[in-house]
Amino acid sequence: MRVLLIGGGHSAYFAANSIRGIDPDGKLIIIEFTSEKVEVLSKTFPFAEVVQQEIDGVESYIRSNASILDAVIAATESDSLNLRYCKTARENAVPLIIAILNNPMNEGIFAKEGVRHIINPYGIIPVELSEILGSATNIIYKTPSGSVMVASLRIEGEDELQKIRGKLRGSEDVSTLLVSSSGEIKSSIEEADARGRLYLMGSEEKLRKILGSFRGRRR
Amino acid sequence: MKVSVIFPTKNREHHVKRAVRTAFKAKGVEEVIVVDGGSRDRTLEIAEREGARVIVQSDLVYPGKGVAMRDGAYLARGDVLVYLDIDIRNMTPEFIEKLAEPVIRGEADFVKGCFERAAGRVTELVAKPLLRMFYPELARFKQPLSGEIAGRRSLFYMVEFERGWGVDVGLLIDFHKLGARMVERDIGYKDHDMKPLHALTDMAYEVAGAILRRAIRDQKTDPEWAERYLRGVRAIDLGLESGRGFA
Repeated sequence: MRVLLIGGGHSAYFAANSIRGIDPDGKLIIIEFTSEKVEVLSKTFPFAEVVQQEIDGVESYIRSNASILDAVIAATESDSLNLRYCKTARENAVPLIIAILNNPMNEGIFAKEGVRHIINPYGIIPVELSEILGSATNIIYKTPSGSVMVASLRIEGEDELQKIRGKLRGSEDVSTLLVSSSGEIKSSIEEADARGRLYLMGSEEKLRKILGSFRGRRR
Repeated sequence: MKVSVIFPTKNREHHVKRAVRTAFKAKGVEEVIVVDGGSRDRTLEIAEREGARVIVQSDLVYPGKGVAMRDGAYLARGDVLVYLDIDIRNMTPEFIEKLAEPVIRGEADFVKGCFERAAGRVTELVAKPLLRMFYPELARFKQPLSGEIAGRRSLFYMVEFERGWGVDVGLLIDFHKLGARMVERDIGYKDHDMKPLHALTDMAYEVAGAILRRAIRDQKTDPEWAERYLRGVRAIDLGLESGRGFA
């Protein structure tokens, strides 16, 4: 895979390491604006080609190389630049365009510009906190296309256990895993105890329906 | 030459419609950009409806004027950028044209707007004395903190933006250092909301900081003295919780 990563800050650092892990033989090109950072990045990521470009020069680079790029990842420290570069990549038919946001409030603006893959690096914080602090229901992961979801539900008492058993009966398309109050992992809801946490994987629509009936209960 | 007008905003739903419409009427204006600092009102929705390009500035928790200005410059496509406060009640297309004209005509790379009123307190008591001390060649500017500016877009890409209130004076010094041709243009009377006095302490601190950091960088002062001065400015407590004033 040939990936163009734009930016040399925190997000780009994690992105570069991930790309290397996913595709060790792929070609990674990193674009940075300042010569000082280019020098540091070249040493940090010897497997990548690090290119210095001016802010306006990046768009020409994308246009010239669009036909040989598999993905463009915009990960600069400015969402304005990320939006510009995603737009140029889209106009030049780069197959995969990914934006790593600085401000999650820009998600809607990027989506309106046709950017389908938007990463909010801070999105994991509320998820992790909910799990650690014992939230009753928690959406742990959603695929970018929104079709598959992983969620958890804390079971509080026998009534709720019966209720969830009833909801899952006939729902073969929902996978479950249960962590009992003593920390044991059980694969069947029938083995569940009334104080465990249930993990569910299935279609977003279905899971939201199941979780919805537990919403609003006392914590 | 194409002109991009940039408005940094936050909770300005009552001003945004008029400002965007006025900007589009000015000669050469191809796009209007609204950079928002996390409004909780309908500022962004109205801006978009009026045809502006919108973005929320990249710093979610500590939005500052400088971050907004940087993000505006980075989103812009015009050859000339014009920055204006969005709350100018008597804004006309001529405001924008007066600022952009010297750049379009090739007479200047950067234009600082000034207006018919006495300069503000932070300008007179902080910015001007420090500029006279370290950058006397910039003392000719009547309102070095004015946020009404225009310049070649490429110029804005050659400097680091201060994050907060020091951005305007920071750009002035940095463009001067780059050898840009700079002029000041009178844009007439400006009717806008003024900051209360107690809000000026932070502003004064950031302006002083921006000038002193550059003075250290340009080897015009002793870093230890500058640090002591900055600590002193920060410690000033005006002791006034209300009152009206302007920068």
